[in-house]
Amino acid sequence: MIDAFLHAALIMTTPILLAAIGGLVNRIGGLVNLGLESMMLAGALVAVIVSTKTGSSTLAMFAALAVGAVVGLAMSLVITRLSANEVIVGLGFTVATAGLVRFLLKSIYGVSGTYNPPGVAMLPRLDIPVLDSVPVLGAIVSGQDALTWLAWALAPTTAFVLQQTRWGLRLRATGAAETTVRAVGLAPLSIRDASTVFAGALAGLAGAHLSIGVVGLFNEGITGGRGFIALAAFYFGRTSPLRTALGALLFGSFDAAQIRLQGHGVPAELVQTLPYVIVIIVLTGLGISDRRGERARTL
Amino acid sequence: MTPIALPRFANVVDAAAPFALALALGAAVLLTAGFEPLGVYRLMIQEAFGGQRQIAATLTAATPLLLTGLAAAIAFRAGIFNVGAEGCFYLGGIVAAVIGFAAPMWPPFVLILIALATASLAGGLWLVGPGLLRARLGVDEVVTTLMLNFIAIALTSWLVNGPLLARGSANSATPMIAPNGELPRLLPPTTLHLGFVISLAVVMLYGIWSRFAVGGLRSRLVGLNPRFSRAVGIEPAPIFLATMIASGAIGGLAGGIHALGLVHRFVSGFSPGYGFTGIAIALLARNSAIGVIIAAILFGALSSAGANIQLFSDVPIEIVQILQGAVMIFAVANLGFIWNRRRNAP
Repeated sequence: MIDAFLHAALIMTTPILLAAIGGLVNRIGGLVNLGLESMMLAGALVAVIVSTKTGSSTLAMFAALAVGAVVGLAMSLVITRLSANEVIVGLGFTVATAGLVRFLLKSIYGVSGTYNPPGVAMLPRLDIPVLDSVPVLGAIVSGQDALTWLAWALAPTTAFVLQQTRWGLRLRATGAAETTVRAVGLAPLSIRDASTVFAGALAGLAGAHLSIGVVGLFNEGITGGRGFIALAAFYFGRTSPLRTALGALLFGSFDAAQIRLQGHGVPAELVQTLPYVIVIIVLTGLGISDRRGERARTL
Repeated sequence: MTPIALPRFANVVDAAAPFALALALGAAVLLTAGFEPLGVYRLMIQEAFGGQRQIAATLTAATPLLLTGLAAAIAFRAGIFNVGAEGCFYLGGIVAAVIGFAAPMWPPFVLILIALATASLAGGLWLVGPGLLRARLGVDEVVTTLMLNFIAIALTSWLVNGPLLARGSANSATPMIAPNGELPRLLPPTTLHLGFVISLAVVMLYGIWSRFAVGGLRSRLVGLNPRFSRAVGIEPAPIFLATMIASGAIGGLAGGIHALGLVHRFVSGFSPGYGFTGIAIALLARNSAIGVIIAAILFGALSSAGANIQLFSDVPIEIVQILQGAVMIFAVANLGFIWNRRRNAP
């Protein structure tokens, strides 16, 4: 029982974590990405199409990564080069991509909402010998796909890159002091674009995890607002990838719990609101402590 | 010396350019999918404005958008990025529907008035939190209002699946409202209802208020430059809060009118994103009342024509959603370079 829950919680954490790490990096680079949902959706669809056509889940994964990156680049260019508002453009991408995906499903495949072709090659689950028979631990580390491993490897890696490397410093400077970055001869807008491409690529992978890692088909509601839960996770994490991962794990567990609690009289809809409620509470707490800090400084 | 007519012309181009670009993008999508874009657009214009029945359908579709557009416009004008109208729309809808079926014996005027007033109140109260957070603590309202949308949608969906589910109903919906609570139809047999006139009147009131009232000037000053307005003695914080509440109330009213006028109950999935379309409308309109009216009717035309062309040709209705998203994107993009690079130079 607990094994099954932990396993499911980790599976549901993966897409949120991937997109949230991308969103975090993007935000540190100075762009709040409200279009993660659209990149995830595009990745999910492309993964199913490529997986069916080629029979290779690896190719499908890279295709999802590529399409997410392309959508991210398009969004980023509109924001950085046409000085457009990131909130509106992000929401616009979410609306337009959802429409485009459904439009293409209808006009190319003649299906409404769900695309379920035969022969989707799923991402292989990696069973780890010996460990898989250990209770609890086995359920956590064994039988997960490569994207789950990637997501969890990315959290400490991102923390290291941000804090300890030249690229991390440049990215942080781009978000915090754009003019300084320009003054030392770097192109802040291009660095910001690169961070959005990174976010898009990870969101595309998150979509692939949902479509060819979990369910094996594409549905227009497959992302189910997880792009926005990822937003909640990286707001929860502020500037720390590890805190972001914690947030993603928390919200992924809610997701897994909500499916399990449905038969037990606990309303799933109310559990679904928890990530959003928690983020509002966290933001309120931050606002209060910022205000206190200001007062302390002025006294 | 710049001729006086030029900026006005530029304003019109400013407003029309995003729409034109979105149509061009839509044409590219249609071409890729093997449709003939001009033919599709011609059919859409015909289905939106081709006769009394079509115009009535367009105005019916524009009704919720007038107010969600206004909800966004009034907030943007004061420098508040409220993206929470969608949630207010859901709450206003469910509140009006509940009053509509719970008080069947009240006379129509009283029932409708109370239902719509409570719907506005619900929408306004819903945004007190983000309003206070922004005004007192400086917490970014984009994230809080966006999150509140998802909470409102889930909350109302829980209510209609459990406590408020109509008996014997398989889908998630409240019971139908009492006939006394229905907004009267203006042009039977079309679905155009009194809500259109109410919404239009509210937008016009906003137009007068924003242009001639002291409050309208103050909110614009705060939106343009909060530090300057503080320097001249206009405290931005109370205006932020009041604007947020007003914006929420307008969103709630939109939902209430939609429930009493068209749907006649509350169903799960009550809004196909009217709150977000409202954002696109306010942006196209540059927050002006007349602009909101024109843009709402345009978007109403798109969605009513979209529904019809799906029936008469095999063009999927989602072309409308693509156009809406594209308008949002192009409306905020600085397109100045396309016709005049120097115009936007400092």
